[in-house]
Amino acid sequence: MAMLTAKDFATATPSWWCPGCGDYGVLSALKSALAELGKQPHEVAFVSGIGCSGKISGYLHSYAFHGVHGRALPVATAVKLANRDLTVIAAGGDGDGYAIGAGHFVHAVRRNPDITYIVMDNQTYGLTKGQASPTSATGYVASVSPEGNPDNPINGLALGLAAGATFVARGFSAQPKQLVQIIRAAIEHRGCSIVEVMSPCVTYNKINTYAWFKEHIEDAALRDDHRPSERTAAFDALTREGKIPLGIIYQEERPTLEERTHLPQVPIAKHDLHGDRGRYAALLEHYR
Amino acid sequence: MILNSLEMMFGGQAGDGSLTTGDLIAGVFKRMGLEVYTYKDFPSRIRGGHTNYVIRASEQRNYGMADAVDSLVAFDLEAVQAHIDEMRPGGFVVFDNTSETVDGALRRSDVTWYDIPLAKIAKEELGLELVRNTISLGVLAALVGMDAGIVRADVTAVYQRKGEKVVDLNLRAIAAGEAYVREHYAGVPSGYALRAKPDGDRLIMMGNDAIAYGALVAGCRFMAGYPITPATDILEWMSKQLPKFGGVVVQAEDELAAITMTLGAAFTGVRAMTATSGPGQALMTEAIGLAGVLEIPVVVVECARTGPSTGMPTKTEQSNLNHLIYSGHGEIPRVILAPGTIEESFTLTTAAFNLADRWQLPVFVLTEQALCQSKATLAPFDLDAVEIDRGELIADGELTFGEYKRFAFTADGVSPRAIPGVYGGMHLAAGSEHNDAGVITENAANRARMMEKRMGKLEAMRDELPRAILHGVADADIAIVGYGANTGPIREAVDRLAAEKIPVRFLQLRTLWPFPEDDVRVFVHGAHHVFVVENNFTGQLERLIRAVTGPIDALRGLRKYDGRPFHPIEIIAPIRGIAAVGESVEVR
Ligand SMILES: Cc1ncc(C[n+]2csc(CCOP(=O)(O)OP(=O)(O)O)c2C)c(N)n1
Ligand code: SF4
Repeated sequence: MAMLTAKDFATATPSWWCPGCGDYGVLSALKSALAELGKQPHEVAFVSGIGCSGKISGYLHSYAFHGVHGRALPVATAVKLANRDLTVIAAGGDGDGYAIGAGHFVHAVRRNPDITYIVMDNQTYGLTKGQASPTSATGYVASVSPEGNPDNPINGLALGLAAGATFVARGFSAQPKQLVQIIRAAIEHRGCSIVEVMSPCVTYNKINTYAWFKEHIEDAALRDDHRPSERTAAFDALTREGKIPLGIIYQEERPTLEERTHLPQVPIAKHDLHGDRGRYAALLEHYR
Repeated sequence: MILNSLEMMFGGQAGDGSLTTGDLIAGVFKRMGLEVYTYKDFPSRIRGGHTNYVIRASEQRNYGMADAVDSLVAFDLEAVQAHIDEMRPGGFVVFDNTSETVDGALRRSDVTWYDIPLAKIAKEELGLELVRNTISLGVLAALVGMDAGIVRADVTAVYQRKGEKVVDLNLRAIAAGEAYVREHYAGVPSGYALRAKPDGDRLIMMGNDAIAYGALVAGCRFMAGYPITPATDILEWMSKQLPKFGGVVVQAEDELAAITMTLGAAFTGVRAMTATSGPGQALMTEAIGLAGVLEIPVVVVECARTGPSTGMPTKTEQSNLNHLIYSGHGEIPRVILAPGTIEESFTLTTAAFNLADRWQLPVFVLTEQALCQSKATLAPFDLDAVEIDRGELIADGELTFGEYKRFAFTADGVSPRAIPGVYGGMHLAAGSEHNDAGVITENAANRARMMEKRMGKLEAMRDELPRAILHGVADADIAIVGYGANTGPIREAVDRLAAEKIPVRFLQLRTLWPFPEDDVRVFVHGAHHVFVVENNFTGQLERLIRAVTGPIDALRGLRKYDGRPFHPIEIIAPIRGIAAVGESVEVR
């Protein structure tokens, strides 16, 4: 099959996103990464949750599953188990992934299926019109927190790392080149890759704007103490005060869920279901 | 002397080993050629708490418990206190009097007592109190004539894994039990005798095993679940077997994950299922609607237990029917099948997978603790009769790029399905309302048409659904409607009433949704009395029937909601009452 370009991963569906939304950057980086990796649309299964970010599954030409709020990861995990030949990617917002889906997030990561999870972090709930999300700063003023958000923000990547993530990275939707690199590396990584993308909500989040991010980010790779193979150093990078690190923060090789469950090489979805009659009958001996 | 008919109860504290011994005896009876049914009544705790195990053995096939127990093996006083009233006059009690005695009214004089210091013999003669269960087995063998060869062979088989010494210890325990009876109760007959017949080609199996086995044979290769009584057996069974057949089982972090994983695997083309009980079913509700709108075939087994909330986890009830029919926001087509026997637990599970694939919707297999954790003897399943119909699944190479519409409008509402990996089949499966190509839209005309497409499946599929079964006298004036675990006690009630010349007909519903309106209307029509037998307080099935029949005097509910299944007499008695009054009942 011919090599495809980013355009081949685009659907004709008109976007529901606001002009200027950070999610456009994520979509375009994703399409480029897939094309650069030589993937075919029918070999890609893309799963998303609910939120502005969750709409992304409608704009990517592939097999796509737009489920319910917070449940993208169990679906994606099962898709991979059902057909390990597929490139499986899940995506959603910070609310989707770290609030309603926090339990699944931790457990998907600890299982380590070979999937990629992209969290589109705008530090607010976009689709429900701007409430505080788990990543909003303490004091963030919004419709449901008029006196300021009383809660501490969650550090999703550190949470993922603590749960045993084997690939942890962060990108910025306005830095497309780096983001494409990160997503490529995440897809190529064998195991569960978490990619958090700073993706500004231009409509509701008037604090964490493009300009704010430009001021608050730094490229982790440019620091001399950056060592993506060391877990403690990665924790350090993710949790220290100061600028938000971008790039691949941590990466490690560990057996995947597919390997640990001794999944057959031939995808389960392709198994013939008719051949085992004799073996079925043998099982009944136990009940005689 | 009562020959080849015995309902035996083992009672003691949970963890005492009543359940293992019960299972062992059930196996012995089966190998003696008798028909066996077992029922477990155990508390929701690991050690302590009264537990009992009922084993019924006779020459006829049994699908439920008898009215009363013939024999009680009581490992403590509490077991006597709890069950002495359930004993049939003329029955017998084996009581472990090592540290407690039974007197006063508890010591019924119309039953034979065998006071045997089981624990003492175990400790003093065999050096291990744990084997008192096995001693009781020897006692019973001597009292009712259990085949000595079979008993010894089965005990050997059960304890083989634990080594020679353990086998030997248990064999000596049996001998000790037999010897005690010979020595102390030589002239005191139990009144019961069992005679071995050829076993024939039969199985003894629990309902949950039959469901799990049915799923495997139907081609299920993915299961995700979260442990919950009484459904866990299925998850355990599948964990052991699926990997051997190339499949995979995931112990999910909760039921939300279990059902969404099941959807993910089914979306990808694998036959997939999950199994749960009330509380877990409540959590799965969110994703049931998703399965409906995405038109994904999934099978969900619900092993119902007593609610509300955590209720009584190890007891039986039929109170989740409404939940299964109506659960979820919005409206989707769904199917609910309810096996009434262990055979049907197998056949209806295999049917569930075909219906799910053929119609691309969620199919529930609804069972109850009283059925799914019971064992019975049965003929081996007919594997040749199992067909695998994957429905309209598009194979690789069948599609031209750019033309595929996942949710295409068709006459029967079923759109050919492309699974991930199939060239040209790319589409968005959107939980939001979408058009035929899967694109999200709020267009009014499309919305109405999509609703009609999805909901229309319920009508289109009617002919393919498992039909209700008519038992008893087809034109009797007295009628019963019921399903699930109650099938057994109702069938027995019908047979016994027939023997009393009171003809009764029984409609056993096997598809509960879409509700079999035509069958029920025809059945109810013309009956003077229609009893709706169900294990719940509100009469969920009765209300469904009333919706079909309209106002009707003939209908009355016969309900039990104490967590225990019906005894046949509880169905027989009210019907006998009506027949005796002669109220428009023709006695033929
Ligand atoms: C079970 C459930 N609860 C609530 C909602 C409403 N809801 C839709 S999107 C959303 C939050 C989205 O926030 P986020 O995940 O950060 O995505 P964003 O829109 O900001 O991209 C909520 C609460 C829902 N759809 N489902
Ligand atoms: S509301 Fe915010 S997150 Fe949603 S599309 Fe608009 S800019 Fe993007």
